[in-house]
Amino acid sequence: MQLRRTGALIGIAAMLGLSVQVAAETLAEDAKKYRVSIMTTLKGHIGAASMTVRGLVDDNGQLAGHAAGLVSGTAELNNIFQEGSAVDDSEALPSIWEQPEKFAAAMKQAQEATVAFQEAVAGGDSEAIGAAFRSMGKSCGGCHDDFREEHDH
Amino acid sequence: MAADESLVAKGEYLLHAGGCITCHTKDEEDAIPLAGGRALESPFGTFYSPNITPDVDTGIGGWSDDDFTTALWEGLNPQGDHYFPAFPFTAYTGISRDDALAIKAYLFSIDAVSRTNLEHDLPFYMSTRLAAGAWKLRYFDAGRFTPDTEQSDQWNRGAYLVRHFGHCGECHTPRGRLGVLLEDEELAGNPEFGDDETVPNITADKKHGIGRWSLSDIEYFLDIGMLPDGDFTGGAMGAVIEDNTSQLTREDRLAIATYIKSLPAKQIVL
Repeated sequence: MQLRRTGALIGIAAMLGLSVQVAAETLAEDAKKYRVSIMTTLKGHIGAASMTVRGLVDDNGQLAGHAAGLVSGTAELNNIFQEGSAVDDSEALPSIWEQPEKFAAAMKQAQEATVAFQEAVAGGDSEAIGAAFRSMGKSCGGCHDDFREEHDH
Repeated sequence: MAADESLVAKGEYLLHAGGCITCHTKDEEDAIPLAGGRALESPFGTFYSPNITPDVDTGIGGWSDDDFTTALWEGLNPQGDHYFPAFPFTAYTGISRDDALAIKAYLFSIDAVSRTNLEHDLPFYMSTRLAAGAWKLRYFDAGRFTPDTEQSDQWNRGAYLVRHFGHCGECHTPRGRLGVLLEDEELAGNPEFGDDETVPNITADKKHGIGRWSLSDIEYFLDIGMLPDGDFTGGAMGAVIEDNTSQLTREDRLAIATYIKSLPAKQIVL
């Protein structure tokens, strides 16, 4: 019954020429998998950016790309901590959902830190870039300290 | 006066090298540094770190130079009682007198805080400090660090910092019976560290250790906490980095990395 009604609505919307997006309930395991993917993306950008920040690899313009990736990746943090998604081998701690205000502040700090890093990269001053990278790392580590299971690396 | 100031500055630097702040400061935001009270959980009970600010009644304000070096080198308090090896005198015994007294000069330069020490929370067989004395008699050799002339200055500096100041092995070296560090397995990781915790193998083994890390990777990790794959550590090592290794010079971090990289690869699987 529900399906048929949805189908009818889509049909009406299609007739009216509206674009339709059916918002599905994301399964916990998929939410967790998506979260890990985003975190892995962030890790990749940070690891690669650090090679340039440390002076081990020249910047041929790629640093701005990594910075942009970090800004969009941290913006997505708001969408990847679905309640109930700490499943399988998830390292997400219950404190994420028990202390939502503290967690939101930690995410905001990470987002602001990546924006500051992007601005520093645009500015081109290597000392400022290094400092911004450091405080970005601090925001990552600080959040992991409170909200991620401690694990061996 | 200028000499005193430089001694105090040297002491402050070495305090970071020695990791004193992390344990001697309560694990709370806004805790007063070095006033003690941090709970150190171990398989042998819970220890509470003491106040090492220069308060005469509750801290170390009444200590002489020799009291201070005896504590670091022999694990004895000014009354001659044994410390439990939760205080890493087994590592600090290698610290030179000059360096020890620089640390004391710094500690005596900070504000005295009145905070009475907490009693340790220990099982019955540990409830007397005589147990610590018996342990020391059997397992502890006091002695200052002597450089290995076959190795570079950088390696020796790293060895001094890792083995004696940083006491890295206290967490990263596996322990045998009665908590004795297994010297042949130096920094090979500790599978049984308190409550279900494990501490990573940091020898050069490529699979189980950090054999794939470059010198620069180790130095940078100790500076900002980034792992070579871009992840950032939190937890206990995050605190060690923030309070201690990030405060050191790049040269000292490279010395630490040089020493660690020289250790034989071990395959302890955690």
